[in-house]
Amino acid sequence: MTLYLMAFFLFLVGLYGAVTKKDIIKIILSIGIMGYSVNLFLILIAYRTGAIYPILSKIEDLGIPMVDPLPQALVLTSIVIELGITALLAALAIRIYEKYKTFDITKVRRLKG
Amino acid sequence: MGELSLLSNGVNPVLLVVVPLALAFAVPLIGFVSKKIIKYIPVVAFLFNLIVALLLIPSVLKQPIVVKIGGFAPPFCINLVAGPIGILFSALIALAGLLVSIYALNYIREGPQEKYHILYLLLLTGATGVVLTGDIFNLFVFFEILCISSYALVAYLGNKAGIESSIKYLIQGSVGSSLLLLGIGLLYGQFGTLNMADIANQIHSASSPSIFVPMVLMITGLGVEAAIFPLNAWLPDAHSSAPSSISAILSGIAIEVGLYAVIRVLFTIFDASNFLMFFVFLGVLTLLIGEMCAFSQKNIKRMLAYSSIGQIGLIVFAFSIANTYGVTGGFFQLISHTLGKGLLFLAAGYMIYRSGSMDISTFEGMGKRMPLTSLFFTVGAFSIVGLPPFIGFPSKFMIVRAALSTGELLFTILIGIVLLGTVIEGAYFFRVVQVIYFKKGNGNPERKKAPISGLISMFIFVILILVIGVYPNLITKILNSAASELLNRIDYIRSVLG
Amino acid sequence: MTLELLLIVAFGGAFLTYFLGKISPKLRNSFAVINALALVVMTACLYGQTVEKTLHFGFLGMPFVLRINMLSWFFAITIVGIGLLSIIYSLKYIENEKRLDYYYFTTLFINASMLGTIICGDLVSFFIFWEMMSWSTYLLISYKGGDKALFAGIKYIIMSIIGSLAMLIGIISLYTHFGTLEISTLAVQIQGASLNYILFILIMFSAAFIIINAFWPLHTWLPDAHAEAVSPFSSILSAVLVRKGMYGLYLFMYMILGLNILNKLKFGFISFTGVFCWIGAITIVFAALTALLQNDSKRILAWSTVGQGGYMILGVAFATTLGMAGGTFHILNHCIYIGLLFFVAGAIEYRTGGIRDLDSLGGLIKKMPITFIGGLVGILGLIGMPLTNGFVSKWLIYKTLILGNRPFLAFAAFLGTWGTILYGYKFIHNIFLGQLPEKYKDIKEVPFTMRLPIIILTVLVFLFGILPGIPLKMINIIGVSLGFESLNVSLGGITSDSGTLNTINIFAGILVAGIIIWLIFKAGRKAPKVNQYDSYAAGAAIPKGKYHYTVNFYNPLERMITPYLKDFVDAFYIKITEWIQNLCNSVRRVYTGYVSNYVMYIVLFLAFLIFVQLKWSLW
Repeated sequence: MTLYLMAFFLFLVGLYGAVTKKDIIKIILSIGIMGYSVNLFLILIAYRTGAIYPILSKIEDLGIPMVDPLPQALVLTSIVIELGITALLAALAIRIYEKYKTFDITKVRRLKG
Repeated sequence: MGELSLLSNGVNPVLLVVVPLALAFAVPLIGFVSKKIIKYIPVVAFLFNLIVALLLIPSVLKQPIVVKIGGFAPPFCINLVAGPIGILFSALIALAGLLVSIYALNYIREGPQEKYHILYLLLLTGATGVVLTGDIFNLFVFFEILCISSYALVAYLGNKAGIESSIKYLIQGSVGSSLLLLGIGLLYGQFGTLNMADIANQIHSASSPSIFVPMVLMITGLGVEAAIFPLNAWLPDAHSSAPSSISAILSGIAIEVGLYAVIRVLFTIFDASNFLMFFVFLGVLTLLIGEMCAFSQKNIKRMLAYSSIGQIGLIVFAFSIANTYGVTGGFFQLISHTLGKGLLFLAAGYMIYRSGSMDISTFEGMGKRMPLTSLFFTVGAFSIVGLPPFIGFPSKFMIVRAALSTGELLFTILIGIVLLGTVIEGAYFFRVVQVIYFKKGNGNPERKKAPISGLISMFIFVILILVIGVYPNLITKILNSAASELLNRIDYIRSVLG
Repeated sequence: MTLELLLIVAFGGAFLTYFLGKISPKLRNSFAVINALALVVMTACLYGQTVEKTLHFGFLGMPFVLRINMLSWFFAITIVGIGLLSIIYSLKYIENEKRLDYYYFTTLFINASMLGTIICGDLVSFFIFWEMMSWSTYLLISYKGGDKALFAGIKYIIMSIIGSLAMLIGIISLYTHFGTLEISTLAVQIQGASLNYILFILIMFSAAFIIINAFWPLHTWLPDAHAEAVSPFSSILSAVLVRKGMYGLYLFMYMILGLNILNKLKFGFISFTGVFCWIGAITIVFAALTALLQNDSKRILAWSTVGQGGYMILGVAFATTLGMAGGTFHILNHCIYIGLLFFVAGAIEYRTGGIRDLDSLGGLIKKMPITFIGGLVGILGLIGMPLTNGFVSKWLIYKTLILGNRPFLAFAAFLGTWGTILYGYKFIHNIFLGQLPEKYKDIKEVPFTMRLPIIILTVLVFLFGILPGIPLKMINIIGVSLGFESLNVSLGGITSDSGTLNTINIFAGILVAGIIIWLIFKAGRKAPKVNQYDSYAAGAAIPKGKYHYTVNFYNPLERMITPYLKDFVDAFYIKITEWIQNLCNSVRRVYTGYVSNYVMYIVLFLAFLIFVQLKWSLW
């Protein structure tokens, strides 16, 4: 239970970073932390106490409980999606630096209202 | 691909998702051969999609088609459920995608055009996937395809506004999708299955807090894309900085697909009928704030973006009334918004190109310079306000009927407030129409029409707006079955799980 | 002769005119006239028929019904008649403007939509045609361009949309209660509804009709719109478009509700019809006095329209036979003479190059005699001089008020007539009488196509004044169909127990007296002719331009009433609009532009949802 709470706390750390930080790089890192914490949470859901990996390599493994393989597939997909998002964020951060000469997101405020 | 059930004419709904996806990956390969053919590929893809969707309508009205990928049986497989809602949305997405890609034949002339078409095909693949899927993680994956393509397309023009809007959209969108994934994880942890019908079947067997938290997380995550009130701050920036064809797709398809996802989660999976009262107020609040912000805008695309927020508020209000009329009215308003707002953005695109700026005061005298485009813009504006004989009128009529048929005083007062929002909407649209037609312009008065591909796609939009507006019985049959699919979740569960 | 054919000719003619205009202007003009003429002929053929037919395609499950009875025919003939005259008039008037195809198309489209509202028999198609009429009117009011016309257009469409949306709520509420929207079925079923519900429905519908008919306090769009529109269209606006509100009130109060429910709607001593009578009275007085203060020829006429509408509702809402006949006849009369007066004002505008300012015109009687006769007859009709049609309808209304024992309302009506006499005279004097300014020495009479409508309407004023039996017969049939008793109508007037009106006798008497006076005049000496500038000024030079008395025409009276007569309703509406604009500007500040704020909104929304669940346990 505490592990779940810690994963959730990590999520809150990421969320805090996304809300309060002004530097774009730090926001990207915070969004990354949020994503990783969700992945961690999914893996924790998959865990069964005293189980082994879900691959049937020896015939004696047939009756032993196995961890849930489905969230592992979810996590793989999620990691790839977050890779795409991080790459896009980094590219946009570079572009912002080219146009605005700063990484401070509070200065990037031409559109409002 | 897998076993299919209950197909009568042999067309597989999987093609609706697979063909645009495959063509998206084929675009760079074809680009090696010839750069000119690339812009026709989306036209071909969505023409195919439209034909497949229209062919599937008769069989879907009788019984939803369930496609099991991989040959397993539900709830262990990932399945596509092509019910009336799914096919209705797929047809709408294919139609809008087709018309905007015809428009983009001549509109997209600068920038990395190859990447534009790849991302365009991916965006609409994601949208079609979201509406056809029956599995929540599949929903998440297609939703992310939709969102990431739209993040990149908003920044397509590479100017300051585009980059700024895109990064703000991206930050909010990724926060939303993390929340969504967290919600999906919690839901999986509770029930052990990812199939929507299976979760819907078991939803009442769990305790209230452990159902409520995933629901709230998923609604917030999906609501960022669906443009519900506090979550839609990305929308005015993104829609006004994207190229106009992408604005049309974003306003017309992307936020409606997001709203579909919210509705599907609320109605089918969580069976939340009491919680909808909250959404009634949220819808009216979104409508009022959207219309009031639109009233004071000077930039035309920002004004149209805020108008989209207002219309989404109206649709949320319609769905939250949760009787047959309300849900049918909500679907009808979705269709009318796609057609109307798409037409407005396409017309505004060429008008901005001609006058050189997005400021409304530069459109003076546009009625003489671009007569057909101005006429199409006026038709779109009247349709969104809800004047007969255009399509906006029967949809608003249905929503008012839904609100008044509940018989409660609260809904009568709320519909009065909604109609006040319509008056404000009329005020700013009529102001723009006056500027276009009745102010003397001081620019170059020569008459130069928009290119023929743009005119063709806008003209087809206008024909659809007029025809369905005068004779809405053409689509009420499929709207009614879509409404009954949404309201009778037991039938949905039974048709998937058997 | 079917009703659908009428609608198809009307709408199709509008579209065909637009496309013909691309080929050749002459072809378009002649086709427009032929189309309007065809509509008049077709409508005249429908006289006396009572038809009701259901079309086979419906709208969202509600059938479209078309029907015509004497009431609809009465309104329809005014629409197509004034439409034809306006098209003939605008052949020459609007020649030099741009975008004529658009002008003809919109005028014919507005006529077609108005015709559609009249001949439909269910409330859905009524609403559809009503909205089409609204937005096309907006498009034509803004036609001239320029800030004032655009402002007038926006004011009109916003007020009209507010009214239409109130009507929409009423219509759908009726649909959900009774399941049908056909007028004949509703008339039967609504007898069983509760009085509170009927009051709610009436208020919703009346909002729309009061706004269109421009009664006080919702009249503020009318002066701007009528003054800034082009003159042929101003006459359509004043004559028939605002009377759609009256048609709506007839439709609703009498056809659907019927007399018995209307008489039951009383709360203490305030009855629903009583409220309408008072609205009418206030409108009459307010408009008549405000018209005195105007200096713009079309604004005077616009305020006159507002005021005369008060007479109509006063008669109709009184719910007696004489009142109904008076109010309905007044609709027809007002249509004729206000159309005539707007044509006259337009003729002046055409020849003087757009001058509407009364202070600078004068003495045009010598140069434009036919226009003067038109203006004079129009003003006589407006005042209600015997021998004109206005006299008959005003006689009926006064009789109703006096017989009904309502002294205050009668006083208001008389005050209105007094004001009408004053501003009518101001109109005639400042334009036609007095001394001719130098710069208008070479003005000619207006061309024939512009004279023709003026002449036709002048003849109609006298025809219906001397022989009022022709329209009174139709009005009697309307009255009977709405549930009143029949009047004893003869060709020359009405005979009733409380007094007889016989205009033929009056005409004969005046004719004989006129012949005698003319003979006396002929037998006397002729007065010597004097040049305009032949005057004695004690040796000083004679100022040529300063002879004419126009400025500050009613100065003593104006000094008395101006402090009380600011249009505070208009100022109130403008203040509300400004307040809403400020509100909208401040709502924009929610979207601050800092992305951290936006992410904070997402988190706050999540927290709010959880709070809602914890507090109210909705799920």
